[in-house]
Amino acid sequence: MSPTVLLVVEHLDGVPAPATLEAAGLGKALASPQGRLVVLAAGSSARKAAEALAAVGAGSARLAEEPAWDLCPPSALGSLVAATARAEGAEVVLIGGTCFGRDLLGGAAAAWEAAAAAGVTEASWEDGGLVVRRPVFGGRATETRRLEGGRAIVALRPHAFPPLDTTAASFEASPSPPSGAAPASTLRRTGFEPGASSAGPSLSDAAIVVSGGRGLRSPENFGLVEELAAALGAAVGASRAVTDAGWRPGTLQVGQTGKTVTPQLYVAVGISGAIQHLVGMVGSRVIVAINNDPSAPIFRVADYGIVGDLFEILPALTAEVRKARAG
Amino acid sequence: MEIVVAVKPVPEAEARLRASADGSGLETDGVKFVLAGYDESAIEQALLLKEAHPPSTVQVLSLGPAARCEEVLRAALALGCDRATLVEAAPSGPLADPMGVARGLAAALRGKKFDLLLVGKQAGDDEEGVVGSALAQLLGVGYAGFVTDLRFDAASGHFRFRRTVERGTELWEAPVPLLVGLQQAWNDPRTAKLPAILRSRKQPIERFDAASALEAAARSLGAAFALPAPRTGAKLLDYRSPQEAAEKLVRALREEAKVFP
Ligand SMILES: Cc1cc2nc3c(=O)[nH]c(=O)nc-3n(C[C@H](O)[C@H](O)[C@H](O)COP(=O)(O)OP(=O)(O)OC[C@H]3O[C@@H](n4cnc5c(N)ncnc54)[C@H](O)[C@@H]3O)c2cc1C
Repeated sequence: MSPTVLLVVEHLDGVPAPATLEAAGLGKALASPQGRLVVLAAGSSARKAAEALAAVGAGSARLAEEPAWDLCPPSALGSLVAATARAEGAEVVLIGGTCFGRDLLGGAAAAWEAAAAAGVTEASWEDGGLVVRRPVFGGRATETRRLEGGRAIVALRPHAFPPLDTTAASFEASPSPPSGAAPASTLRRTGFEPGASSAGPSLSDAAIVVSGGRGLRSPENFGLVEELAAALGAAVGASRAVTDAGWRPGTLQVGQTGKTVTPQLYVAVGISGAIQHLVGMVGSRVIVAINNDPSAPIFRVADYGIVGDLFEILPALTAEVRKARAG
Repeated sequence: MEIVVAVKPVPEAEARLRASADGSGLETDGVKFVLAGYDESAIEQALLLKEAHPPSTVQVLSLGPAARCEEVLRAALALGCDRATLVEAAPSGPLADPMGVARGLAAALRGKKFDLLLVGKQAGDDEEGVVGSALAQLLGVGYAGFVTDLRFDAASGHFRFRRTVERGTELWEAPVPLLVGLQQAWNDPRTAKLPAILRSRKQPIERFDAASALEAAARSLGAAFALPAPRTGAKLLDYRSPQEAAEKLVRALREEAKVFP
């Protein structure tokens, strides 16, 4: 097979997002051995972003360098992606499944009249068609989808694929103008507030999440959870008992009425494991529970458990993590 | 203001998941369907905007098998939505081709006037989050997802809202009509009162036949549905001191599970 794979680049001032490097790795695999990986980058620093990807193995680049692309909403890139996919004769378009990728996926698929799938954790060619796998129901099940019709656009779940090894390959970058027009959007960006999330990874796409529950007993004690999270470079989550009590904002809530998270590692501290909490985190790859009640349901879904007093365990664990990461 | 909310029936959170007989999807027999969580927020936000900007109406739309959709449409009416439309489409388990759903909804809305179209950021079952942005492209209106704090300025006819992304919060402004994938309403969704629930049982539901809109050359078909082997329970660490517990855990995460950063 010799498919053409188009990779849509998300970048900040020309530095590709980690999710884009992950998608590049898959793109290269899907394009090999005889296909092409083409990148599409938009914005005034598109050239720099494309060059960064050329260095890791993209064959050629399509650039939309008008500064108007810098401030337009991701959804406005849908037509550009479609026009470029047509011009390149692409079979597959890949995007990292970040807020950027998720906001443009459906629009690009509609404009390109393609099949779409999001949250994908595996993708391969089977019998000449693209087959993807994705966790559904908060990771409680896995769905396999066949994308038919020769045009597929896929958003990848962040952290599901290893980023392309930057030393692996070298192709020639040959930037060329896209056939898309300037962005048409009625939306105007008026400001940006680097949020608490800029201090660490955001809950929804963190590789590690440390969550605390009622067992912490007070908003002050909840700081113990935050210290462990900081030591691990993790995002902080909470059970509803914590957010309802106002110890921490509702944006941290994990579960049925909060966020669904599927990190590589989920650490539940002083959380009993009510079903409404579990549905938001059972899709995590490895689960650790710390609780002084050996019959707490959280131990049934956990891989590793420490039965003990969190007020003793947490400080020791934070210290040990710091030591291990420093050494 | 004319507000439209598109909602999806999803299996209730407590539902026991099983694969269907042919293994291609979820067995829906005996499963209770409810409003998706983010859709409840979208309805709440629509009602809050309606209350803040009279006279406004809220129309709610749902595409899929009739029985299931009627259930959630009535729930929406009971919460205070004014009109409900069932967009009939033959196939589809809960995990249908999202682009087909978008085309069906677009067919039902094409040529209709609205100022705001709300969808939940994503549904709790398939978690695609594709329908909103696809629908916006098909209808030719502006779109943003991950939206919080959605406000309408009647004087200028503009919406102002926040979009929470990985690095922080973006502030945006857009004129009507606008399509929004909602992350969070101003407050938690309300619950319906009994008289309203009883009244909703008798309210009319409009019907729109979208079966023909669902066909397309490129489509995404469910091929298999698998439940993971149930977790067998935690490996409990033996320890004599908190330090030992911490050391054992870090070692296990690093050497065994290979998830230590
Ligand atoms: C419709 C609905 C939706 C819901 N949605 C959500 C949701 O999205 N997310 C969510 O989390 N919940 C949700 N809930 C609430 C859920 O049912 C539980 O009430 C909640 O998750 C409990 O939080 P918790 O585990 O922190 O508290 P608890 O259940 O009180 O558990 C506290 C745990 O801490 C342990 N503990 C206490 N002291 C210590 C100590 N010193 N050391 C170690 N361990 C200790 C205890 O053994 C206990 O297991 C929902 C409920 C409903 C009805």
